[in-house]
Amino acid sequence: MTAQTVQQGDLVTVIGLEVHVQLETDTKIFCGCSTERTDEPNENVCPVCLGLPGALPVLNEAAVEAAVKIGKAIDADIPEETRFHRKNYYYPDLPKNFQITQYDEPICADGELEISVEGDRRTVTVERAHLEEDPGSLQHVGGGGGIDSAEYTLVDYNRAGTPLMEIVTAPDFRSPAEVRAFLAELEEVLEYLGVFDAERDGSLRIDANLSIIPAEEIDGEDTAEIGAEALAAANRTEVKNISSHKGAQKALAYEETRQKNAIQRGRAVEQETRHWDESRGITVSMRSKEEEKDYRYFEEADLPPLRVSGWKEEIAIPELPTARRERFEDEYGLSDEAASKLTSTKQVADFYEDVAGEYDPDLAATWVADNLLGELNYRDMEITAIEGRLEEVTRLVELVATDEITAKNARETVLRSMLDDGRTPDEVVAEEGLGKTGEDEVKRAVVEAVEENPDAVADYESGDDGAINFLVGQVMQKTGGSADPGDVNQLLRAELED
Amino acid sequence: MSENVFITEERIEGDDDGPLAGRTVAVKDNISTAGVRTTCGSRMLEEYVPPYDATVVSRLKDAGATIVGKTNMDEFGMGSTTETSSFGPTDNPAAPGRVPGGSSGGSAAAVAAGEADLALGSDTGGSIRCPAAFCGVVGIKPTYGLVSRYGLVAYGNSLEQIGPFANSVEDAAQLLDVIAGDDEHDATTREPPRGSDGRTGDARETREPQLENGASYADAATGDVDGLQIGVPTELLEGADEGVVETFWDAIADLEDRGAEYHEVSLPSVEHAVEAYYVIAMSEASSNLARFDGVRYGHDADAEGNWNETFAQAREEGFGDEVKRRILLGTYALSAGYHDKYYKKAQDARAWVKQDFDEALEEADVLASPTMPVPPFERGKSLEDPLQMYLADANTVPVNLADLPAISVPAGETDGLPVGLQLVGPAFGEERLIRAASALE
Ligand SMILES: [Zn+2]
Repeated sequence: MTAQTVQQGDLVTVIGLEVHVQLETDTKIFCGCSTERTDEPNENVCPVCLGLPGALPVLNEAAVEAAVKIGKAIDADIPEETRFHRKNYYYPDLPKNFQITQYDEPICADGELEISVEGDRRTVTVERAHLEEDPGSLQHVGGGGGIDSAEYTLVDYNRAGTPLMEIVTAPDFRSPAEVRAFLAELEEVLEYLGVFDAERDGSLRIDANLSIIPAEEIDGEDTAEIGAEALAAANRTEVKNISSHKGAQKALAYEETRQKNAIQRGRAVEQETRHWDESRGITVSMRSKEEEKDYRYFEEADLPPLRVSGWKEEIAIPELPTARRERFEDEYGLSDEAASKLTSTKQVADFYEDVAGEYDPDLAATWVADNLLGELNYRDMEITAIEGRLEEVTRLVELVATDEITAKNARETVLRSMLDDGRTPDEVVAEEGLGKTGEDEVKRAVVEAVEENPDAVADYESGDDGAINFLVGQVMQKTGGSADPGDVNQLLRAELED
Repeated sequence: MSENVFITEERIEGDDDGPLAGRTVAVKDNISTAGVRTTCGSRMLEEYVPPYDATVVSRLKDAGATIVGKTNMDEFGMGSTTETSSFGPTDNPAAPGRVPGGSSGGSAAAVAAGEADLALGSDTGGSIRCPAAFCGVVGIKPTYGLVSRYGLVAYGNSLEQIGPFANSVEDAAQLLDVIAGDDEHDATTREPPRGSDGRTGDARETREPQLENGASYADAATGDVDGLQIGVPTELLEGADEGVVETFWDAIADLEDRGAEYHEVSLPSVEHAVEAYYVIAMSEASSNLARFDGVRYGHDADAEGNWNETFAQAREEGFGDEVKRRILLGTYALSAGYHDKYYKKAQDARAWVKQDFDEALEEADVLASPTMPVPPFERGKSLEDPLQMYLADANTVPVNLADLPAISVPAGETDGLPVGLQLVGPAFGEERLIRAASALE
């Protein structure tokens, strides 16, 4: 996808992804158990997700709906009907020792997602995206802590049967930064669709295939034109255990360097699976020889094919980030940069639209994109951290919009206090005495100053215009300096005219 | 009891009233009963007690039936003699010293011996019809999707159905009335097309009266076969025992006397049915039985070593030879490089068999054949030659491949041994089979 030219001797990085996304549904994909997280192991289980003898799967159509939404968002083909297969392999976290998944008729095929990398917009091909069930989770106790070295291993089936979408991209990425941009965009789209919760532990799991291809094996000079042959000729590593877009960039940058170093030193890169060790920041070989796995796929006869023709038309999806960004530019007259910031997450965009609906869209943009996101970012916080307090931020914008406090005080004192010590804007304004003094109070002070200083009044009336400055000073004193001197000057002149 | 009918004898009382109040039912031991162990005739599940009832068991209880025990069976349904059970063989009450057939041998024997009024079995490739024929009782294999499989421990899940045994067609039909019908726990269940006798959307006039609302399968046991067109597939008589064939034709003559007509039909595809059936059933079994690893339930090998070795040892100790043979063959048939040659080819054959039956049933109301080509085997002979055993299923397995309903009804005897007659009907044509079969009583 990246149209860059290469030169002799260059090493080109090629990356493809398999992204596992947990779909947000109330119940599991093949039974009625809750998908709610719980600390109690094996609480949300039943004969079906435990794989008890005789239990049968029944498809949760909400999972299919979520999948169709994703398909629609990435403009994928949705087949007339979709069916499930069994993927057969033994593993202790797999209740039936086969996984119900999709094989030759995935719910989504041939989609794409547009991303932005360093200001360039590019398109990544999503080859397929299919539904499957999540296995249980393992807890290795004692010994070396791995499945082969632990003293014993506990199995928790709460996760078993959580609907998963496996999203497989073409080998379209040429750098770890592009991968990160794609994952961030994907997460955002999924959150917009309301089918995914990024906050949830383990909701995103990424496997990445990375190979390094010498420039001389690329026909032509365009790195986007790397052919299947050159790819097949290169040994690739599959990096597993990546769980965030930031982690993906780190893991793949490490792996890219490791492979390039090997090639530059004339060593071969082994085709293998490597494990990303987040704490150590390195990838570790999992098995040196990757045996060809045979999953013996065959049709899951317990689930009749589901007709989904027409679902794509029937199921509505909300406006997606790209479309919303463009609309923000048109509707609110925002710059591309501001619109991008404001559509970075659905919550930010929704909040912006709330505020812009009531106050000036420019003021709202400054407050949400610059002030609020800036201060949050400085504190390494997401907008979700103040989810319940957005009304307070709106109130703060109101205080500025109605001129009750100065913009400077609002930003530097009120907002920061709100975030740092949890006070409401009105509390900060009252406790710090930041309110611009009310008009009545200024008027009262003007009247008082005129009454209390007959000499100065007489001087003014006799033509000494300098006397007005003395009176302004008196009023400023009475109002504790919070009145605007220009306003006071005018009020005094009006009072003295009478 | 001398026949060794039950693996577990335990009474499970149903509701106080209902259509089966006062009736006793024996349940095959691969049908889950909450709180009562369900072994599948296997050492693997010797101590497994399900926490839930199969849908058919709930329906039995709701109907007021009393379950009297869990019956013996070939291990995981894999056999035609009930001799692969790890709980010992069952004798044939109708022919002592002979096998009761299988795999639901215990259920058929329970009814034949009067240990229960009724029984439930399961039929993957003949496992209800074979023991019904061998024990001289009635057995029905319903249309795939008529009866819920929820709680039936799977062997060949695309092929099998739970069905009834009884001493009369009407009793078997009454039990079918109780267990049939849509189930939210089994996505493959379908409501039979209403009032169509299995020929929905077909504008042709049907000879039989359409089912009225509230009508039941039991009501269909009228013995009225006037005008019934019987097709006899010549392929299903080839190679059958002479005495069996003679008994079969006597039964057809009886039906003719009562107004039915017969003609010969051809089902060329059935010569591949046994191969196709075993490839599909074994392939599915290799996957269905993968869950028995000793982790959550079932035989715990107490093995040393890593998880893989522990799984392997649990399976080595828990499964018998026939089960291991079928898992190995099924795994092989699904493997890369062999999948197309075996599994896919078997699926193609299955489609062909279905088409053959559909065509034959265009020209006939029911198809008739001997249920088993031979009378019951002597005990102890079957384990010597599995291939011969597989071939004895020639008349029953095509019906499972075609997803169709069939009934086995006693047709008489040969040398004092029971012979069963099998009638096959169109999908959801159970009433028609019940009506025709009841004419032989
Ligand atoms: Zn469950």
